[in-house]
Amino acid sequence: MSTALVADGFPEEQVRQRARQGAGAVFPAEAGYGTGLLGAVPAPSPEGAGYDPEDVLERIRIVPPVFMPERLKKLIDLAREPLYSDVELDTVIGGFTSRLPLYVSAFGSTRAASHDLGEAAGRQAGALGVPLVIGENVVPVNGYRSAGEAGASPLLGRIAAYAEAADDEHGGVVVQQSTEDADAEVWNLVYSDPVTEPLLATGRLAFELKVGQGAKPGLGGLTLLDRETAEQVAEQYSLDEVFGAGSGQVLRVASPGTFTEEILRQQIRLMRNNFPRARVWVKLHPGRDVAHAAATAWAAGADSVTVDGAEGGTAWAPTGFLAHVGLPLADCLRRVGRTDHCLLASGRMWEGTRAVKALALGARAVGLGRAALLAVDEDREAGLTRLVEALALELRMLTSAVGKYHVNALAPEDLLLPDRWEGPPAAPGAA
Amino acid sequence: MTVTIAEAVDEALLPFPSSPDAHLTDPLTRATLRVQSHMLTATRAFLTARGFQELLPPIIGPVTDPGIRGSKQVDVDFYGHKYKMMTSAILYKQASLLAFDKIFYIAPNVRLEPLETAVTHRHLAEFHQIDVEIRDARREDAMDLAEQLVTHVVAEVVSRMPAELDLLGRDTDALREIFAGAFGRVGHQQATAELIGLGHPQDPAAEIDWQGEEIVSARADRPFFITDYPKGSRGFYDKENTEQPGVLRNFDLIAPEGYGELASGSEREHDYATLVTRMRETGENPAKYGWYLDLARRGIPASSGFGIGLERFTRYVTGRQAAWQASAYPKLPGVVSA
Repeated sequence: MSTALVADGFPEEQVRQRARQGAGAVFPAEAGYGTGLLGAVPAPSPEGAGYDPEDVLERIRIVPPVFMPERLKKLIDLAREPLYSDVELDTVIGGFTSRLPLYVSAFGSTRAASHDLGEAAGRQAGALGVPLVIGENVVPVNGYRSAGEAGASPLLGRIAAYAEAADDEHGGVVVQQSTEDADAEVWNLVYSDPVTEPLLATGRLAFELKVGQGAKPGLGGLTLLDRETAEQVAEQYSLDEVFGAGSGQVLRVASPGTFTEEILRQQIRLMRNNFPRARVWVKLHPGRDVAHAAATAWAAGADSVTVDGAEGGTAWAPTGFLAHVGLPLADCLRRVGRTDHCLLASGRMWEGTRAVKALALGARAVGLGRAALLAVDEDREAGLTRLVEALALELRMLTSAVGKYHVNALAPEDLLLPDRWEGPPAAPGAA
Repeated sequence: MTVTIAEAVDEALLPFPSSPDAHLTDPLTRATLRVQSHMLTATRAFLTARGFQELLPPIIGPVTDPGIRGSKQVDVDFYGHKYKMMTSAILYKQASLLAFDKIFYIAPNVRLEPLETAVTHRHLAEFHQIDVEIRDARREDAMDLAEQLVTHVVAEVVSRMPAELDLLGRDTDALREIFAGAFGRVGHQQATAELIGLGHPQDPAAEIDWQGEEIVSARADRPFFITDYPKGSRGFYDKENTEQPGVLRNFDLIAPEGYGELASGSEREHDYATLVTRMRETGENPAKYGWYLDLARRGIPASSGFGIGLERFTRYVTGRQAAWQASAYPKLPGVVSA
């Protein structure tokens, strides 16, 4: 166990508790689950740490009906009354078969995510049979590998850890590349590396074009580097002495890259052309034209589009951005609307109610970012597994509560939405 | 013959030489390399007689032709700066036209191709191109020249090296089909539709895949051109058709009998702002192409050109089963060798 990471404004303690305790942690303390060893279990109150009353997704309620014709169908199918344990959670995420409507989001290269946390997350995600996204910057900052030291590469280490733990059918690895990563040719390196071949052979490798991220829409990567590391990457990256020349740390600044509709379309087509054995994922920041961008990506052949709400991000970002910039996830989902394409949602995901709301609003799956990172920080061996067990239990209970038995059947009818939900988008530029 | 080649790809790898001496002393290797040497002599004579200047190609540079169909570039530590081995000298070909109006290289290239290409019989990690660039030329000028050059080289080998072709067992009647008339020309859209009609799942928005290329090749008696590839399937330097947005002014030359692609070429983009925009569309960071874009800002000439894969061309002329057999020291993707 470790407490090296701190996630202010995020329900860190609840996540850590689930990482320790697993599914039992979804119940209140008085239910008595597993409290003997660990002391009092805080009630998972939405008013707890990290709860944002302005977050529309938090204010939406899940509303079970009284009459449940789908439950009757299930009863006939089973010849007994269905239980929440009869709810099926398997789904197809961006071309991968996943055991759960979940994936582990990219952690990136920030120090929070380095070292063995990435591999621990990879191993557990592989065993869980859910996709794992590996962040951009991992190669440019930490290096790919020199000949004969495969074990030293964070990227290959995470891929190998995942592949070893996974079966041949479920999940998959998604390798992200941002505009500035193109210099390091991350995708080209990965595509022809023997380490990746087992995943390619089973159709379980994807490349994710990172257009932006939730924590800092419109900005590129910002990384704090010590001076020595900064000098190594000075030729590839811009450095900003925001902390003064006397500071031991330097801000590495990356451009988010320039996108137009045509640039996005062509980059996706080039990915399909150059890497025909890999799936194509696209990650969008919560821009006001997110619906237009998502539609463009799907039309160009993207297997999956992720919208990262302004609440999202393990990323290091200016405090003003965290509080004031970008569309909240609920608004992203409202603008994109229900779709037959694979839409993924990330942003403050850690427990079942928020996940169910996002799924009902049109997402195929939700991404665990900070929550996954905290869980493996709490317990390298099983923290993420336990967190996901808790989440899966909630997903099953909530889905069965609205009278449905496959998580893909969740729909807006299962939610109590704000009165002005159906109104046109407020900001100009939305499609 | 055609059928044999087309089926060969589905079979196991041809036995790759276990040591250089086994390969080098093989009479078939020696005959193949003699033919290749004569092909180069004929190429140089043909181009020089038409006013082309031969230049020696660069081997390394700060940038090279960006990744093509998943192939990986080789980094070189250039006194602390990251340089690249040439995957192709395209950027230098355009620049060279500032000195001469018509140039060619016999250029070595290194592309760490995806592992699955080791069995296509066409991909080598190290290979050579007959690289040609013509100032102020249109795509059709480059296609005409490529057609004449390939026909001339085949004629030279057929007339001067019958003993080698006989030893190699090359079906010279099939090879002589090249003299029967002009090369056919078919658009990418039509080629794609034909492949889909034949039951091959070709993506209309992408490059013709390796299997599809072999299928169309196996159905042809003479070399032919596929033109008008869609944007998104080629590099930023292939010029987009102003009258047909999304379509590139480029071409591939496909050998018959299942031998597949011999050459790629295009009319080149040379306008600075368009180059920067196209770089973004191909996912490139323009900052990386500093010297090239500085040059483009000051003005590089309009041009067209092509590159013929020498080992592939040799394979077609000699009738060998795989392109690596046309190299003295072959490098197959993922295979450790001399």
